[in-house]
Parts: sequence; structure tokens; C-alpha cells
Amino acid sequence: MKRKWSATLASTLLALLVALPGASLAAEPAPEAKKSTFDWLTIGGDYRFRADSLNGKMPTFFNFFDPSYQAFLGGGPAPSPTAGADVKNETLYTNRFGLNLKAKASQNVSASARLVMFKTFGSQDDSAVSGLRSASGTIQPFFADRVGVFDGTTGHIPADGKVFVDYAYVTINNIFDQPIWFSVGRRPSTGGIPSHLRQNNEKPGNAGIPALLVDYAFDGATLGYAPDIEALPGAYAKLCYGRAFENGFTLDSGNGLRDTDMIGVSLVPYDTDRLYMNLQWNRGMNIFNSPVIKSNTVFGNTQPSVDLGDIDWFGLTLLSTMKKVGPGTLNIFGSGALDKTHPNGKTVILSNGFDTGAGLMFTGRSESTTGWAAHIGGRYDITATRTKIGAEYNHGSKNWISFVPAGDDIWTSKLGARGNVYEIYLIQELNEKAVSSHIAKTFLRVGYQYYDFTHTGSNNWVGAPVKMSELVNAANAQMLVPVEKATDFYATVEVKF
Amino acid sequence: MKRFAIVFVMLACVAAGGLFPAGAAADGEIKLVGVISAIDIAGQDAASATVTLKDNKTDAAVTVVVTDDLTLDKFKDHRIVVGDEIRLKYESKDGKNLSRYFRKTAGC
Repeated sequence: MKRKWSATLASTLLALLVALPGASLAAEPAPEAKKSTFDWLTIGGDYRFRADSLNGKMPTFFNFFDPSYQAFLGGGPAPSPTAGADVKNETLYTNRFGLNLKAKASQNVSASARLVMFKTFGSQDDSAVSGLRSASGTIQPFFADRVGVFDGTTGHIPADGKVFVDYAYVTINNIFDQPIWFSVGRRPSTGGIPSHLRQNNEKPGNAGIPALLVDYAFDGATLGYAPDIEALPGAYAKLCYGRAFENGFTLDSGNGLRDTDMIGVSLVPYDTDRLYMNLQWNRGMNIFNSPVIKSNTVFGNTQPSVDLGDIDWFGLTLLSTMKKVGPGTLNIFGSGALDKTHPNGKTVILSNGFDTGAGLMFTGRSESTTGWAAHIGGRYDITATRTKIGAEYNHGSKNWISFVPAGDDIWTSKLGARGNVYEIYLIQELNEKAVSSHIAKTFLRVGYQYYDFTHTGSNNWVGAPVKMSELVNAANAQMLVPVEKATDFYATVEVKF
Repeated sequence: MKRFAIVFVMLACVAAGGLFPAGAAADGEIKLVGVISAIDIAGQDAASATVTLKDNKTDAAVTVVVTDDLTLDKFKDHRIVVGDEIRLKYESKDGKNLSRYFRKTAGC
């Protein structure tokens, strides 16, 4: 198996070497920019092949689904723990294709859409990334955001060959003949700043979101205002709204559930190359215990069964691009965020009536928690060779919970990790003259991620986090298979047109 | 109900925008929203660019001189290109239209 991965990595590195001689020539200027084939319609998109080699370490823990633990719950003898072990997937290959359309319908009205397919090689479902597969085919998930594809992650987690609508929205600009806009539909609320750097994407515009707080395909709306303040170039503010779960028809007395919604206020006082600053507040309301997932994991199909409460988030993101630093351009960023939970005391009760005692970030006694996270890093772009080298680090505290399940990471969305995540990468753009549009480019990317989890439950808001060293206590049995360390060597071939 | 109110307020703003006229521009300053039809920069190190826009309201062609570095950088690396819609403020001085504010129309 190692030879297979080595062959893939060697092929990618060989391609990099082949690309470099051409890239070492002076970069050719892009052709005179052409907006699109038609004045009113812009067509673009991307294709990505990605290979991952994944290794992880599972600590010794008590497994809630283990027959001995179930017997223990029924009054039987003390259960036996599941022994720690190494886990791996030496080779995971995925294909992603996206088609972007933007139509200007009238002077101040435009409609935008992105259709995307994200498929695992040799599979027509998401099981390759959802968890630990036994010989019988049973899958025990590692992380809540990878149990199965759901509304907020469709098109962002490798799955089958179906084409999904990643976003589709309409925007009305220049309201009151002022820089005010309103936009409604399935939002471009994924891949926010500064995650565009490692993806080698253009910096998101006014539609962008801070990657540390939101990476979730929302259906919603935005009302924005970009005033002309000389001292604050590029400033704008947005009121955002999104729906994460629609409860449907109920009796007038209700069904115990409510729609799950999020509102947010985004203030960007400065948006220039030298400095981009974002201040954000979000509130998630009536947070469900589990999204609607059609899954073949041990959980089977899931759906919300209880509202657990609300969560507030506060975030600050800074990004700076400094040109002519040595032979290239330096991009650096730093993000920090806080979360504060407001549990309603309700807990998850299984279909057999068993009360898990697990509520919004607590197990047992209901209490509000506060968590924090930080994300720092940079990318250096060598102009002459079109080489980009990046490094990132993020840390999430014990009680860190974000809303980022659509993060472009295989193990789990790294910005939702409780612990430390390190990542380095190298991007080599080919010295190809752009034809389809001014942003057209072809590049290869190789990178390495190292996750060092300190607590369980990354990207999971149900139940209290448990320190890795305390998993040997039977009172801390887990429904998800804990992962203590994880690595991902990855290589991609990407075309943007 | 509160959440419905948020969406309702958003929609009300949009509707009001279609009903009420825009405010007047400041003295000596001319505002317009238009689409770029030509960008002429002398070279990668040029300190100014001449840009022609088609006014959305009148269809008239307006040519302005842009000198601010932030906007020039965007021309050079194609973040602002022909076909983009621009919110512009300019003033006429010595027979030239000098850009005072040049930004893509906000929105997503």
C-alpha cells in the first residue's frame, strides 16, 4: 500500500519538477482581461484531483457501542476498553469539479450559481471519509462533521458523483442609488478568509465570511452597506441570516423542535491590500443535536430530535498582503474567536429511551461554556517562478466549538479542532498563458497536516469534551471513535478557468 | 417571529430602495455608477490610468484619470477589469476628470 502512495506522491513531485523549468522563466503578463463571452454572463469553474495519505492514532477508550459496555449499562460487569491502535488510509483519491455561473439580469440585479461534484475514487458514497470501517463494513465515525454529508457540507465532503448546487443566489445592488445591496439564496458561505490562501483562490469579496467562524453552506440572506469613508478605505458592514434546519409543518402545539437559524453582523472597517480587518458576531439559535444525514454508519440515518440551546460567537480576522518583500509577495494573517454556549438543559435521548445526559457542550449538569481558538499563518509568493509556500497553525481550546463542518480537510475541519493543527504546503503554478479568463491558472499543490488533539469532540457540540488522557475512565465512554494524533500528506492537480 | 422580522426588514429596505430617489452629490463632485469599457495604463509601473466608463443612467461615456495606488494595483493584477461595474466619484479640473473614489459596486 505504501508503494501505491509513494507512486502517487512521486508522480506529483515529478510533475512539479517538470513544471518548474517553465515556471522559472519570467512570468508572462496575463492577456488583456476579458470579462466573459457574453457581456451579461460570466462562466468559470475549477477541477481538482487530490490524493491523500492518512494516518492516525486512536487512544484506548471505552466504546459506547461495544457489547460489553452496553451490558454494563444494563447492570452487567465492568466493561473492557477498546485498545488503542493506529489507523490509516494509505491512498484516498478524489475528483472535484465545479461550474460557476453569474448572469447580470438587469442593471442592478445579478444571479450567481455554482454546481459541484466531489467524488471519491471507487465509491458512490461518503463512507471513505466517515470513520473506521470493520471487516463487516460497519463504520464507526471519528468526527461529527464527517459522519455523513448533510445540508451544510454537500459538495464539500467527498461523496458520490452527483452534481449539487453549492450556491445559488440573487443580488440586488445600488439600493437607493447607494452602496447598499441585498442578496438572498443558497449562500457562498464557505471557503472564507484566510482559507483562500492555501486553496490558491482569489480573496473573497463582500460575500466573504471569516473561515474560523463559518464554513457551512447556508441558505439565507444578506443586507450590506459599503459607505465611502476616506479614513476607512474599503469599509463595509453586513447583516447576515441563515437557516440550518427547517422543521416543516407541525401541529399548532409544536413537535418539540424549532427551526435552527443563525444571524450575524460583520463589520469590515478596512479592506485594502495592506490591511483587511473583520469583526464578526454570530448567534446560532435552537441548535439541533444532529443534522439530517442519510448514512451507513453505526448511527444509521439521523435527524434532529432535540433543540439544545444557542451559541454566540465573536471573531477578529486580520490579513495583510505586502508586495515586493524580497523576490515576491508576503501574505500574513491572524484570526481569533470566542464561543459562548447557552444550553437549555435538554439532553439527547436515544431511540431506546436511554438518556445520554449529553446536551450543548455538557454531559450531566447543564452549564454554559466558553471556548476560544486562534489561527495564524502566511504564504510567500515568489513572483518569478510562480511558487507559493505557506504555513499555518491553529489551536482550539477544550470548549471550542465553531460552525465549520464544510472545511476542506479530510480528517475533520481543522479550524474546529480541539488541540493543535499544523500545516505546510507548496503551490507551483504552471507558466501557462491564461485563455478562458484573467483568473485562469493550473497548479500543483503538495502539503502536510498534523493534528494533535487535546480533547475529544472536535466539531461536535453534543456532550462535554474529554481530555485524551481521561478516556481510560469508563465514565467517559465515547460514541465517536476518538483520534489523538492524525496526519495527512496530500497532493493536488488543480485547474481554475 | 423575530427571525421573520429580520428577513422582513431586509426586504422592506430593498422595496424602499426602489421607491425613493437617490440623494444629491456633494458640491463639485460628480457621482455615477457605470461599467468599464476601457482601461489604459501605460505599464506595470505607471502612476496613473485612464479609464472609460459607460454611465448606467445616461449611457454616456465618461473618461476619468485614476491615480490612487490601491486602484492602480487592482488594474495591474486584473482585480478590476473591463466589464466590471464601478461606483465612481470624480471632479473636473483643468479639463480632466480626476477620480476621487473608484470602487466595484458592493454586493456579492
